Amino acid sequence: MMEGFSTNIIFYLTLFIFGSYLLLGIFSALSLRRYLRKNSYVNYNSLVTSPLSPRVSVIAPAFNESRTIIDNVRTLLSLYYNNFEVIIVNDGSTDDTFKKIKEAYQLVKVNYFFDYRIPCERIRGVYRSENPSFNRLTVINKNNGGKADSLNAGVNISRSPLVVSIDADSIIEPDSILKLVKPFLEIKDRRVIGTGGVIRIVNSCDVEKGHIRKINLPEKILPRLQVLEYTRAFLLGRMAWSHLDGLMLISGAMGMFDREILIRAGGYSIKTVGEDMELVLRMRRYMAERKEKYEVTYVPDPLCWTEVPSDMSSLKRQRTRWTRGLIESLVTHRRMAMNRKYGRLGQLGYPYWVLFEWLSPLVAFGGISYSIVLAVLGRDCSNKCVKINFCKLTPIWTKNLI
Amino acid sequence: MRIPGILILLLLLQLSCTGEMRNEDNDTEAVENVAVNGDKETVSGDSPWLNRVEYFGRSIALVNLLIIVIVFSISTMVILLIFILLNRRRMRKRDELYQYLLETYQALIIDYLYGEAGAEGFRKIASNGYRRQVLIEQMKDVAVNLKGDSGDKLRKLYMELGLDVDSVRRAYSRRWHIKIKGFRELAFMNIKDANAEIFRCLNSRNEILGMEAQIALVRLSDDKPFEFLHHLRRTFSLWEQISLHELLVLHSIPVPSFKQWIDSPNPTVVMFALRMIREFKQKEAEDDVRRILSHPSPEVRKIAIEVSGDLEMTTTREVMKKMYKYEDDINSLEILKSLGKMPDKSLLGFLKLVLDKEDDVQLQIEATKAIENIGEEGVKALVKLMKSKSEYKNYSIIIRHVLDRRIY
Repeated sequence: MMEGFSTNIIFYLTLFIFGSYLLLGIFSALSLRRYLRKNSYVNYNSLVTSPLSPRVSVIAPAFNESRTIIDNVRTLLSLYYNNFEVIIVNDGSTDDTFKKIKEAYQLVKVNYFFDYRIPCERIRGVYRSENPSFNRLTVINKNNGGKADSLNAGVNISRSPLVVSIDADSIIEPDSILKLVKPFLEIKDRRVIGTGGVIRIVNSCDVEKGHIRKINLPEKILPRLQVLEYTRAFLLGRMAWSHLDGLMLISGAMGMFDREILIRAGGYSIKTVGEDMELVLRMRRYMAERKEKYEVTYVPDPLCWTEVPSDMSSLKRQRTRWTRGLIESLVTHRRMAMNRKYGRLGQLGYPYWVLFEWLSPLVAFGGISYSIVLAVLGRDCSNKCVKINFCKLTPIWTKNLI
Repeated sequence: MRIPGILILLLLLQLSCTGEMRNEDNDTEAVENVAVNGDKETVSGDSPWLNRVEYFGRSIALVNLLIIVIVFSISTMVILLIFILLNRRRMRKRDELYQYLLETYQALIIDYLYGEAGAEGFRKIASNGYRRQVLIEQMKDVAVNLKGDSGDKLRKLYMELGLDVDSVRRAYSRRWHIKIKGFRELAFMNIKDANAEIFRCLNSRNEILGMEAQIALVRLSDDKPFEFLHHLRRTFSLWEQISLHELLVLHSIPVPSFKQWIDSPNPTVVMFALRMIREFKQKEAEDDVRRILSHPSPEVRKIAIEVSGDLEMTTTREVMKKMYKYEDDINSLEILKSLGKMPDKSLLGFLKLVLDKEDDVQLQIEATKAIENIGEEGVKALVKLMKSKSEYKNYSIIIRHVLDRRIY
């Protein structure tokens, strides 16, 4: 029995993975159906005009974004919402990002008393526009400290109950704030601490002055594959995990958080490259340890567009960063693993991420290598003879790789 | 289309391979049976599948399962793909027809209301299920902007065609999203036949259904549109409050005196009442708001503090001063903001004390703002503080921050 299990481990693991995907697909479909039905009755315009809408701070860290910063700030200032401010954090850019934004938006230094509630690098100055048309805009010029450090600086200066963290080079959908705010207003018996949404790929799309004019499929093969990957991750995985209350990640490209809980949990961690995942885990842990009822929600609507790597070296760098971030976050919060105190997140979400996100590439790589070895040597692990017959290779591959 | 194409190609390749294998298997049958007989787990002759594939000594059940999974997955994917493509085509055509019918019916309705057209044309439309539904949608949309005689005429037509029966049936449906559709139609056409059902759904656990029931009741009520607030037991979310406020503003619904709900046992109803008192500037509720400052819920107290400041309810000043030290940081900050909106010399001592004793920068900034708002006397006090060069407090930075008009 045990021998059978060990020789077929890849098969069982594959079955387990596909079984999990099937379940996630079912949960995701159920959630999507409910969301679509629910949203067919929603009038988001009520939020735009209402004086009761909560104030939101949009925080965008910028490091060497000279090429796109002016258009991107313009897009942010034209978001479709009534009660918001935009905080741009220049993270010690070495190019002319700050100079460009200062000139374009007529910024002047103000006598701001900066409160370092969450520790961050030294602030060189806080700038506001002399032009009343840009009175929603605040720019922080600070020493370089990384994305997490810049977001912390933005959270410190924000006075809104809700903060949105975005990448300055992302293109935001005009109605994204409306969609992100809604879960914070409608859930009653628990506190919503964070909301994320779908990120889409902008490669090969027609972009004009920070707005998407025409959506195109990426021309290169790598971004095309990532379109498929993003769709699977955002519409299947995250939607289902949100339904199961096990959502562990709100993409750093765009997410909305309860500022008070974010500060109480200690802000973004500068010790990890996966600050987005680490923050969600820490906020959830903070709430669970205080036995406060909370929820992390997910909106299955496209909220922002981002450029994905189109060559192998950039993709490799990005994936290395993501994997490092994932491992660091999971290791930092290993106490949550299989811990009943953290509910489904600890008992289901955490093991899933360890098995299928962290270890799955290793298992897949192992499976492929094993199959190659089998094909070349003509022997399987129980030392049974395998005939090399190229006509019969299809079943061999099927058996070992699925 | 490329990926399914590749998959079909792979499938064909596999089938052709297994075909060749089958021929080969026939040739080598005798040899294999000998090998198989020595191993209990691998009797190829027991399974029809195993005649077609090489199983390398694995369990028969496992190989069978594997083949079933592969075939099932590929066929599901192909079927799903065909279904999605056909469905997309169907949806596109349906949308085009829907748009065409909407425009046609809109012209018909306008002709009926303001021209000489009669109801005959509508009867033919109403005899077809799909078109009948489109007609209901269009009549509902037109009814939003109609009042007086035109509204009554449209309502009469709606009932004459028996469309109200459809709406009532929908309102009693067991499915929540159909129910909501029915509520909306009844509310827009001002038909009260399902009011009992709408009222029953008011405290539904389904928040969307509950919200739609509220909106329908407000629309359908002639004299007391907010009567339902007396009966609301569940949490009244901010989203529902925003929707209801919008309804009040946009549809000229008579605004009641919201202080009647200030003693509601439901804290969220009290919060809504306080917000509406502020939005409709019902200053006559000052005594009630002052009383609510001692409400057990900190969220309710926070809104009461905000309302006191926004409506400059000066009799609440002393109460807020007294409650300051017992409140958490969030409510303390709101108290300072509110006091800053109704400045008075009598607050100077209190505000200076806050500035002196508090370590939280936000509290210090709000206290400084409130002092500045007092006027000449306040500014003099700030200047004096700036010159004091306190060892522990960096007053000058805070005061410079407050006095900078570019900071909001």
